[in-house]
Amino acid sequence: MTRTRTPGISRRSTLALMGAGAISVAAPWVARAQAKTIKIGMPTILSGRVAQLGTSSRNAVMLEVDKVNAAGGLAGRQIEMVIRDSKGQPQEAARVARELVNTDGCEWLIDGEASSGSFAVHEVARDLGVLCVHTCSEASSLTADPKQHIPNAFRCVRQGIHDSIVGGSYAASISKAKGLKKWATCSPDYAYGRDTTGEFTLYLKRFAPDVEIISESWPKLFQPDYTEVVTKILQAKPQALYSCLWGGDLTSYIDQANIYAMFGQMEVFAVNMADYTALTVVKNLPKGIHSGNRYIKSFPSTPENAAWGDAYKAKYNEYPTNWSWQNATAVMFLSEAAKKANSTDGKKIAEVLKGLTIKCPFGADGTVTMRGDDHTLVGYAIGWGTTIPQEPYVPEVKAGDWKTIFELEAEWKKSKGYI
Amino acid sequence: MTELEAGRVRTLVPARNGAVLQRYRDVLIALIAFAVLASLPLFTGSKALLDFVIRCSAYGLFATSLNLLVGYTGLTSFGHGMFFGLGAYSFGLIMQKLGVPIPVAFVATLAITAVIAAVIGAICVRLKDIYFAFVTLAFQMLIHSTILSWASFTGGDQGLRGGIPRPAFLGINLANHVHLYVASCALLILGLLAMRQIAQSPFGYTLRMIRDNAARASFLGIDVWRAKLTVFVLAALFAAMGGMVMALFVSGAYPEFAYWTISGEGIFINMLGGVSTFLGPMVGTVLLLLLNDTVTRFTEYHGIVLGVVILFFALGLRKGLLDFVAEWFSHRRNTGEGR
Repeated sequence: MTRTRTPGISRRSTLALMGAGAISVAAPWVARAQAKTIKIGMPTILSGRVAQLGTSSRNAVMLEVDKVNAAGGLAGRQIEMVIRDSKGQPQEAARVARELVNTDGCEWLIDGEASSGSFAVHEVARDLGVLCVHTCSEASSLTADPKQHIPNAFRCVRQGIHDSIVGGSYAASISKAKGLKKWATCSPDYAYGRDTTGEFTLYLKRFAPDVEIISESWPKLFQPDYTEVVTKILQAKPQALYSCLWGGDLTSYIDQANIYAMFGQMEVFAVNMADYTALTVVKNLPKGIHSGNRYIKSFPSTPENAAWGDAYKAKYNEYPTNWSWQNATAVMFLSEAAKKANSTDGKKIAEVLKGLTIKCPFGADGTVTMRGDDHTLVGYAIGWGTTIPQEPYVPEVKAGDWKTIFELEAEWKKSKGYI
Repeated sequence: MTELEAGRVRTLVPARNGAVLQRYRDVLIALIAFAVLASLPLFTGSKALLDFVIRCSAYGLFATSLNLLVGYTGLTSFGHGMFFGLGAYSFGLIMQKLGVPIPVAFVATLAITAVIAAVIGAICVRLKDIYFAFVTLAFQMLIHSTILSWASFTGGDQGLRGGIPRPAFLGINLANHVHLYVASCALLILGLLAMRQIAQSPFGYTLRMIRDNAARASFLGIDVWRAKLTVFVLAALFAAMGGMVMALFVSGAYPEFAYWTISGEGIFINMLGGVSTFLGPMVGTVLLLLLNDTVTRFTEYHGIVLGVVILFFALGLRKGLLDFVAEWFSHRRNTGEGR
């Protein structure tokens, strides 16, 4: 028998492939025709080292969106989330955000990007004029710097400066009570680590002027071995240590410092400890580490917060993260704003969002506010407490005082030339 | 003129005519390509397609310039991404801090890149093979670390914030999407045309000779170091052009632009498209971006898909796509002639 077909791709299959390609390119336009639903785009980090945080953001958004949809949607329109991975690269975040708006027909953006990615998405929002809520970037300058300000972008995230003020005043009170004068710091060597540590020590010294920093360590981000850092700190013999290491870096650091019994020799203040991603991963969580709250079911100690944490755990079989509550709050804000505006028009929603106060399980007094003048979240539960090795991990959290935060934040803004 | 010399001239003249003809052909193809690309917005309202072409311009310029080093000179640079980042940062910083017209910032960026590339190149091109690759990588990490730690100037890991101002010049407003698109296409086509001229010039053939046998080139009186340095600086300039297009697209510059992963993507693009044809990297760019954009729409496990594609090209085709197609055509032509 002779072969009649030459090997390789036939003309027919080429045509079929081209047809399939054309359909996949045309699909978004077909989808746009279904305008009854409102599409909200969300670029976030679903792969790489911080994928767990991005996934927890997606989970929280979906948890809240399902509730909104079950209650009739936004001004009568069901929400359809379009969530895509940006790999944590700013150029991808910008591309994905543009694609979500321009091709997929998303009317709003929830920006689940951290650090540089959030600034890249912010520029897309500036360019396209689309309503955008940042839900993960803690960099204060994103909303504090007037150069960044655009009328259509909001930030529904805790902020580095707020954490530093509360942390500084808490640490100062412990410092005075226990006579901790010699301090060491150990934070990751990049902007977040340097800025947060600088601000923390600034406020610590302000509230406890006799404190002295006797040793500083700046391990690299994602550094695997902390032996050198731990021994350096032990040699300096400080009475207290501050660290803003986070995630895997913090857990490796604690596991390695445990070998040297470091936690028995000094008071440790680790702002990012009280997050389930760190608490549940550390092998032997030392008792008595002071930490800021990231997300913890027991703070604020209200039935609403506990119920939310349990609902999340029941659905996803893991505890929420700091990014989770922020994303959930963003959906709550958008839903409330749509109700008030009785519309899904981005401009109207932006107007309503300014200064909007909503009931929220994560509020210091049961409510949170989107501050009108700089479009940023305030009034969220913020505080410090000490760890125990088992649940609830941080049994008691001392809440920060928002009046003090506002005063010192305004001062800080002035010193930066922002106001 | 002796009879011998007259004979030489006779053989040289048709060759020179051929080269001139080819140059005209290249210019014609470039003009047609530009006309097709520039008229695209008239036929489609798809902003995503225009975004895609803008990104292709940025990565295409970068990858093709890398091929000048890898494919034509045999210098496998692992740090070429530093010039992509340098272009983006220099341009962004000049525009933000000095507020000069865009063409001035463009030229100034090229000048800065040329100086830095000359310094880095002077150290790197003395080295061969893996040593060259790793020293370029080291310089890239140096530039990346500088961007990260000089936060007061570069914005550190958060990048250049606040947007890059894009004042209109000569009636071109790069804040307008279509204008930016046409300008990116123009830069891409001009860049490709210039690189094509470099590759086809006597200098380009000198590079090929250095790639194939540097010792022989040296014996023929060629200053190998100078030729390598020249192409290193030229390639850096085109990479910086790519970086500027990217900076304009995202209206900012971020440390990731100068990270080694960008260099890795450049090498991957060259592997995908092929290094033995001029347009190979351009084909690779389109392929990679298409793959990336399609796969990330459906799954966050894009790493697996891209890995399989690399395996397919490395183990299946054993060369880039355009190399494969070119060989297939020449094989077909040869067997056709043999019949």
